[in-house]
Order: sequence, then C-alpha cells, then structure tokens
Amino acid sequence: MNDPVAFVTGMKLLGAGLAMLGAIGAGVGVGIAAAGGVQAMGRNPDAAPIIQTNMILGMAFAEAVAIYALAVSLIIIFAAG
Amino acid sequence: MNEEKNKRRFGAKRWLILALILAGAWAAYIGPSIFKPVAPMVVLYPEPVWPGLTLLGVPLTNTMLATLIADVILVLLAIKAYRFVKSGNLVPSGIYNAFEAIFDYLWSSVEGATGKWARRVIPLVATIFLLIFVANMIKMIPGFESIGYLEQPQKGRAYAPVALFNIGSKTLYTIDGGQQVEYHAEAAAGEAESGEHTATPTGEHEMCEACQIIPFLRGSATDLNFTLALAVIAVFMTQVYGTWALGPSYFEKFFQFRALISGGVFGIINFGVGFLELILEFAKILSFSFRLFGNIFAGVLLLSIVGALLPIIIPPGLYLFEIFFGIIQAYVFFLLATMFISMAVVSHHGDEHVEEHH
Repeated sequence: MNDPVAFVTGMKLLGAGLAMLGAIGAGVGVGIAAAGGVQAMGRNPDAAPIIQTNMILGMAFAEAVAIYALAVSLIIIFAAG
Repeated sequence: MNEEKNKRRFGAKRWLILALILAGAWAAYIGPSIFKPVAPMVVLYPEPVWPGLTLLGVPLTNTMLATLIADVILVLLAIKAYRFVKSGNLVPSGIYNAFEAIFDYLWSSVEGATGKWARRVIPLVATIFLLIFVANMIKMIPGFESIGYLEQPQKGRAYAPVALFNIGSKTLYTIDGGQQVEYHAEAAAGEAESGEHTATPTGEHEMCEACQIIPFLRGSATDLNFTLALAVIAVFMTQVYGTWALGPSYFEKFFQFRALISGGVFGIINFGVGFLELILEFAKILSFSFRLFGNIFAGVLLLSIVGALLPIIIPPGLYLFEIFFGIIQAYVFFLLATMFISMAVVSHHGDEHVEEHH
C-alpha cells in the first residue's frame, strides 16, 4: 500500500484475471456442444456433415462469450489507463 | 517386417531435426545474447509502417499493408483460376485444384442454408472467407511482427540495439535479448518522438538507446478495424439481401406496427420484440468483430509469450494450432454470415411460408 502505482497495477492484473472467469461458462458450453455433436454423429453417421456444421456454429456462439471476456481483460491490461 | 526396415534405416533428416532443436536451445539459452528471446511488446492498436507515411491521407498501418498483400495474393489467384476456367480444361490441376475444393465446400454450405438464393449470396460470403483465410495464413510467415524499424516504446521493456551487418551504406540492427534496459517514460519522453529505423541511412539519426521493434507487417485480424469493417459489411449486406428478397416488408421484422394496432396486449409485446431484433443486429456487428479479433489476437499473444518463455519444441505445435484456428475462424465468420443472410431472406410470417410450398 506504500506504492499507489504498484497497487493500481496489481489490481489491474487481478481484475484482468477475474474477467477471464467468463471463460468457465464458455468452456462448459463448448464441451456440451461437442458432446452433443459427437453423440449425434455416433447415432447417425450419415448426417455428420450437417451436424458438424451446426456444432461448429453453436461452439462459435458459446466461444464468443469467452472472447468477450478476453477482450475485456486485454483492454484492462493494455488499454485502460 | 515393415517395422524392422524402419529400425535399420537411419535417415539424415532426423539428425538434422535433432541438431536444429539443440542449436535452438543453445541459441536461446547459452549462445550470444542477440539470439536470446525478447519479451513481446503487446499493442492493441496498429502502428504506422513508417513514421509519416500516409495513404490517401490516412496513416498506412502495418495491418493495412498486410491486408493489401492478402488482397494482391487473392487477386492473382483469382486471375489464375479465371484463366484456367477460360482455357476449357476440365481436369483441375495445381492451385486451381485447391481453389475448387474450397469452393465446392463453401458452395455446399451456402446452398444448404440459403437454397435458391445461394447464387446471389455466395460472392459476398466466399470473398469474406477467402480474405480472412489468406490473411490468417500469411500471418504465419516468418518476418511478420519481427522485421521493422526500431523505436523507443512508451512503456514496457526495451532492449539495447546491436548492429548486425551492412548492406551498402545502410546498417541492419537487431535488439539484444541479453541487454534489457529499464525504461522510464518521464526521462525519455522527448526522444520517443524521433523514432529510429532498422536501416539508418549513413548514420544521420541518433539511435535510440532502449528500443523495441515496430513491425512493418502484422496480421490483419489482430487489428479491430479490419474485423469491424468486415462485420459492418456482413451485417449491412444482410439487410440488403433481406430487402431484396422480401421488399419493404422486410423491415416489419423490426417495426411491427401492424401487430401494435391489431394485436392487443401481445401486439405491444411483439412491438418490443421487434425493437430487440433491431438491437440484435448491432450486437451481431460486435460479436462478429470481437470473435475474430479476439481469437487471432489471443493466438498471437500466446505465440509471442510462449516464444519468450520456452522458444524450443513448443512453438511449432502452437503454429499448427494457429493454422487450425485461422481456418476455423474464417469458416465460422463465413458460416455465421451465411446463416444470418439465410434468416433474413426467408419470410418471418409462418403462414406465408406454408403457402409457398403448395
């Protein structure tokens, strides 16, 4: 606490780390999407191309949340005063 | 039997690879300090290729230059493919083979999603895919993010410059990973203005004492401007395709006045939902641009940080990972744009849709 600049820097890094907690949900979501996709492909291998397309689409939506968290933490570290 | 054969064969290549790995380890940890890995300088914004260089009044940034190179490559490929089609030769060969494979895949995706609109939709989405794909691939070429001019950074770590060799009257410099200079922004704020270059002509300029490399080329998608521009184009063209397909009634999706007048309580709710759809269009721009930017920028960050921590063995695997992600992100951008357009070109009233089938 003696050095306010170091304190602010440390808090910034802590905040960036906390912002990445958002990746938890995205990770679970991507995992569920992959599990569902693989199960569906196992049951009906003929439909694999369509399932794969939709699976990647769903994963992209789920992953976007993690990317928002990443963007926030990058902005906290490198851009925010 | 096959395994025995392999056991006895001692190719030269594996020893070459092993020697290269050992040479890398020697260079990174034991050898002369100019080979030592440097801590990456992470900047979110793109930097100008050369101080004061402008293109049509806008500073020419390193990401713009990389995008222009990707454009040139794509145009050359397109001309080659066009010549091939014109030649009447039916059996594809060489680069056209790859073109045809990619295009077949894209075409089947677009046709599956948009049906009879596929012929009008594919020029836009396939161009977006090819541009992102080529931009993500040329980002891997060595020299990207590592060759540039030297400049004093505003903050962060900096290194002492070392002269490498002369070409004519110019001297090429590199930064010395072993000589890290603690940098204080207040002390050298004035010097930071006059950035020095890797190739200093006849030593007129003073060299910076603590330098970082400002690269000439940087991956296009590590610049939010590039991804935002693509996202705005994709979302705007979604509206254009929607209006093209449904006429002015496309905008009833957003402003449901008819439901408001005749629908009672649920009409008011539907009117609110229409406004939410309007907000969703702007959210699409955000999610498009941040997804691509975040993925590619995070990849670059990962590569440079791991490269600074452990410069042997691991980075090649990460490069493979990056190639995979470059393709996947281009495909995801393409697929999402296709899906949004396909949602826009079908009528949102269920009853009309049923009538079309009869």
